[in-house]
Amino acid sequence: MSSSVAIAVSGISKRFGDHQAVNNVSIEVPAGSIYGFIGPNGSGKTTTIRMIMNILVPDSGYIHVLGKASAADVRDDVGYLPEERGLYKKMTVRRVLRYYGQLKGKSAHEIDTAMKDWLGRLQLTDWMDKRVDQLSKGMAQKVQFIASVVSQPKLLILDEPFSGLDPVNAEALKDAVLEMRRRGTTIVFSTHDMSAAERMCERIFMIFRGKKVLDGTLEEIQSEYGHDTARVRTSGGAGILAGMASVDGVNDHGNYQDVKLNGDAQAFLQQLVQKTTVQQFEIRRPSLHDIFVRIARPTEDELRNETGGVR
Amino acid sequence: MSRILTIAQSEFTTLVKTKAFLFGIILMPVLMVGFFFFMSFAQRHVDVETRPFAVIDHTGVLYDAVRTSAETRNADSIDNGTRTGPEFVPSAVTVAGRSADEVKVELSTRIRDKDLFAFVEIPAEVLTATGSDVPPIRYYSESTSYEPLPNWLRTTLNEEITKRRFDAAGIDQAMITRLNTRTPLSTFGLVERATDGSVKEAQEVDEIARMIVPFFFLFLMFMTVMTAAQQLLNAIIEEKMSKISEVLLGSVTPFQLLMGKLLGVVGVALLLTLVYFSGGVYALMSSGRWDLFNPALVGWFVVFVVCAALLYGSLFLALGSACSDLKDAQSMMQPAMILIMLPYLGSFIVIQNPESSLAVGMSFFPTMTPFTMMLRIAMPPGPPMWQVLVSVLGLVACTALFVWAASRIFRVGILMQGKAPTLPELVKWIGK
Repeated sequence: MSSSVAIAVSGISKRFGDHQAVNNVSIEVPAGSIYGFIGPNGSGKTTTIRMIMNILVPDSGYIHVLGKASAADVRDDVGYLPEERGLYKKMTVRRVLRYYGQLKGKSAHEIDTAMKDWLGRLQLTDWMDKRVDQLSKGMAQKVQFIASVVSQPKLLILDEPFSGLDPVNAEALKDAVLEMRRRGTTIVFSTHDMSAAERMCERIFMIFRGKKVLDGTLEEIQSEYGHDTARVRTSGGAGILAGMASVDGVNDHGNYQDVKLNGDAQAFLQQLVQKTTVQQFEIRRPSLHDIFVRIARPTEDELRNETGGVR
Repeated sequence: MSRILTIAQSEFTTLVKTKAFLFGIILMPVLMVGFFFFMSFAQRHVDVETRPFAVIDHTGVLYDAVRTSAETRNADSIDNGTRTGPEFVPSAVTVAGRSADEVKVELSTRIRDKDLFAFVEIPAEVLTATGSDVPPIRYYSESTSYEPLPNWLRTTLNEEITKRRFDAAGIDQAMITRLNTRTPLSTFGLVERATDGSVKEAQEVDEIARMIVPFFFLFLMFMTVMTAAQQLLNAIIEEKMSKISEVLLGSVTPFQLLMGKLLGVVGVALLLTLVYFSGGVYALMSSGRWDLFNPALVGWFVVFVVCAALLYGSLFLALGSACSDLKDAQSMMQPAMILIMLPYLGSFIVIQNPESSLAVGMSFFPTMTPFTMMLRIAMPPGPPMWQVLVSVLGLVACTALFVWAASRIFRVGILMQGKAPTLPELVKWIGK
């Protein structure tokens, strides 16, 4: 494995009882990049991350992290923010961060310098000597992030770092992630926030039902899914689109609709003009959100089974 | 290793700084001393009532003795002007031609009316009858569970009756008492010949050394194990409930985490033990019983208490890691508590006869060794050295096994959420 690859995962699988959580997944995370893991809940993201972190052992396949055969060998160089995360409530912020830094083998001096820098960046300096149980949820989440970067890792793995944050704190945390990237850290993060993934990630990996379904740059993924989406704003609204032959699917945003087309966009526009007044018509690449929904949307069979179950 | 120490240190300082720990250290002795003070205070103050009682004396001669004795007793139970015991006030009742039953009915009514507390009927034959023909003195009261008055009456009347029997037989009772003086028997260890040829007198075995010292060590051992077990269970469950474990597992292996916690908490338990141990040593010094201090015993105690704390600590840590909340933990605790209670119950067998084959057997059973072998060593002459060494080897091996098995369970359990596993599942985790 070359040093330009931070994580190389080859054909890993993991089964819990009857449930195949991860099925023959391979990933290569280039060093210095931001790599986004997306996928619906329960699709195997966290299991994959735990295997990369050597917290779970794969049933088959290989994982190389920072050139070593196991994350256990480079533990001190990997920062990790799990999805299930907590802090010692009775400790002060300073003590918690020192403790986590020491567990990465850093000296008190190194930790203190990094800690003060990060607390300043995330507007938490005044809270350094407060106890964790005095922090708000957003603050605690920022402290958890600092705990994962206070050791200045070469690789940073964040499982749902933005979940539950208000927009201001989410922005602050995104800036912090980008700052780590500027410092040369490779970053892998999983998220449900498609716009964050679109804006921040150089490469995106999507796992669905334990299998890899997408892997590449946003550019590659979008061109694979084609220029088949039009954003339309008409006086007729979503109702006018129903039953039109060239329409494959509609994502209704209220004021406008994203339409997935199965044919020529120009022909569709002509049909539309005949039916209603068109205020806006834009041919777009499908957004990550659209692609995500297309892949993860339940099949018709599943929908039928679901309603049958309710009945 | 340095990570283990980092975790241990954090665990140790966090625990030692908690109010609960400081409270525990100070409060427990204070509570114990307070309890004894309260008991003795209560014993002296609980019953300072006046207890009027009537005496139907068919002998016609015993009432006066009762009255004089009551007066002396009442005077004695006044301390600095304060009454420290009940006041017994007798009154004589004469039958005077009525039937005894009628009198007793009347007295019973007076008791119900709270005019009297009790009455006693002394049959005429008590002075003359012997052997199994002696009729009982009959004591009547509403408060039949009240003991001081009937106890006092039994003693007082019997003394008087015996005295009168002796007088009637023309024998000097004082002489009989003198002739009956019992000769004491003292227990000694063995006599040795010292290196200079002189004979070294055997030490007299005293009850304090025989019982107090072993019990003190037993108490310390239990306290250490219980403190460590309780703290570890709480610590690990709190960590699981607040989702800290996975953050830590990003930095250390499960084994490092387990060992760090174990060492930290066991350290706290040992510190607590040291505090109480120093208290015990201080008590020995201030009571002038320095001779009871035995360095070898202390050395063995350190070996056993460290092993016991690690052995039981790892057990509770493994159980704790398998539970998701305190409710699960409580049901998991029960079998583990039995494991601790067994040597506790066993220690009574050991105290009675430390050389019995059952006691020897128990001291070789690793989970019981720290308690039972410690007791045997503390009780002269002590077990043969080979037994001690074999049991320590077994204990150390078992402790290592427990810590290893616990780390296997911990590895799986720490990330588990939801339903607690069954015992067979836990065993399966060890082999995984």
